[in-house]
Amino acid sequence: MKTETLIDMLARNAGPAPRALAARRLSPAVAAGLLASGGAAIAWFGLIPWSLFSTHVPWTKMAYAGALAGAAGWWAVRLSRPAASAARARVAVMAVVLAMVTIGLVSWLSEPADGRMDALLGYSWFSCPPSVLALSLPALAAALWAIHGLAPTRPRTAGFAAGLLAGSVGALGYALSCPEASVTFVAVWYSLGIVLTGAVGAVLGPRVLRW
Amino acid sequence: MPFDDSSSDFESALKPLWLRAQSGDEAAYRQCLGLLASRLRAYLKRRLSGLPDEVEDLVQETLLALHLQRGTYDPTLPVSAWAVAIARHKLVDLWRRRGRRERLHDAIDDVDEQLLVAEPRDSDARRDLETLFEALPQAQRQAIVLTKLEGLSVAEAAARAGASESAIKVQVHRGLKRLAALVRRDGSGDSVTDGQRT
Repeated sequence: MKTETLIDMLARNAGPAPRALAARRLSPAVAAGLLASGGAAIAWFGLIPWSLFSTHVPWTKMAYAGALAGAAGWWAVRLSRPAASAARARVAVMAVVLAMVTIGLVSWLSEPADGRMDALLGYSWFSCPPSVLALSLPALAAALWAIHGLAPTRPRTAGFAAGLLAGSVGALGYALSCPEASVTFVAVWYSLGIVLTGAVGAVLGPRVLRW
Repeated sequence: MPFDDSSSDFESALKPLWLRAQSGDEAAYRQCLGLLASRLRAYLKRRLSGLPDEVEDLVQETLLALHLQRGTYDPTLPVSAWAVAIARHKLVDLWRRRGRRERLHDAIDDVDEQLLVAEPRDSDARRDLETLFEALPQAQRQAIVLTKLEGLSVAEAAARAGASESAIKVQVHRGLKRLAALVRRDGSGDSVTDGQRT
């Protein structure tokens, strides 16, 4: 086929370009991932006592995970547009993590010395990151599917961003089941679970984000 | 001459046309694709000097990708930078498929538009897209033939095929996506394609 013929064919009846394509693909993926992670957290681990919802315990985690989901989602969208700069979105992601780590560190330093181990490890440090990772997997699959339909030219980085987004969605779900009250705990172990999910996304990216 | 070799002139002529194309102006879209094709041909020729047979195939593959991905264009970007980023992606994909380890000389993020000098038309692709059409599922092929080759309107095609208008649009989009996937598989440098070379 001549290139001229192909151009004629592509242009004929082409109609307008789809609008807000990234948001239209990514929002349902995130919504489905949230439902899956929240539902699975309640089904497997059970809901935290209602009384905790009037304390900061679930809300600190949700604020952190929500902010990180927003920043990582923005980063993923920028990485899905050829030639678009993703630098500001990447800075936003790092700023959210850095802010949480700083808050965690300050809170840890203000603990009395004999309470610091408990503040850091809680009673579930070992199970927290893998739980966040497990609850993130539906969101990871959905986010990679959504980004695959866009045009990521850096598949490993885009996979990492999708993984951070999915990890944050998983952490939002896990916050429904996790009674840990220490901010330091959240800063360390939630972040680790989210970054682990990011690493899984980075490994999968080059395989599944081809187009 | 409406366009000289300066890329900023090229961009300032292309951009308003492209914005009209994005909002549904078919003639503007056809003109944009023609302008972009000659730029992309020049870009790819420089980088495929060892594989001149691949150039037109890759131009066509990139045009197909531009069309399928035009929803990812952001009006704050230069159109030519966006298009070249897609061409570069297809070029890297070609090297990967062919198992080459050729180094690309420039970083992924900054596109040197000075390298984009228009080339004369040269439209002989080695691969024939029409034969790949045969591999599409019947409904997709029919929707493409009616709206894209015979030039019926979407409403006429829907009446002819006995389907809804939105179903026709979906089949066209899926068919072109499938075609792009077939092109990638076909372009993996296997012996069948090499055997067809004359």
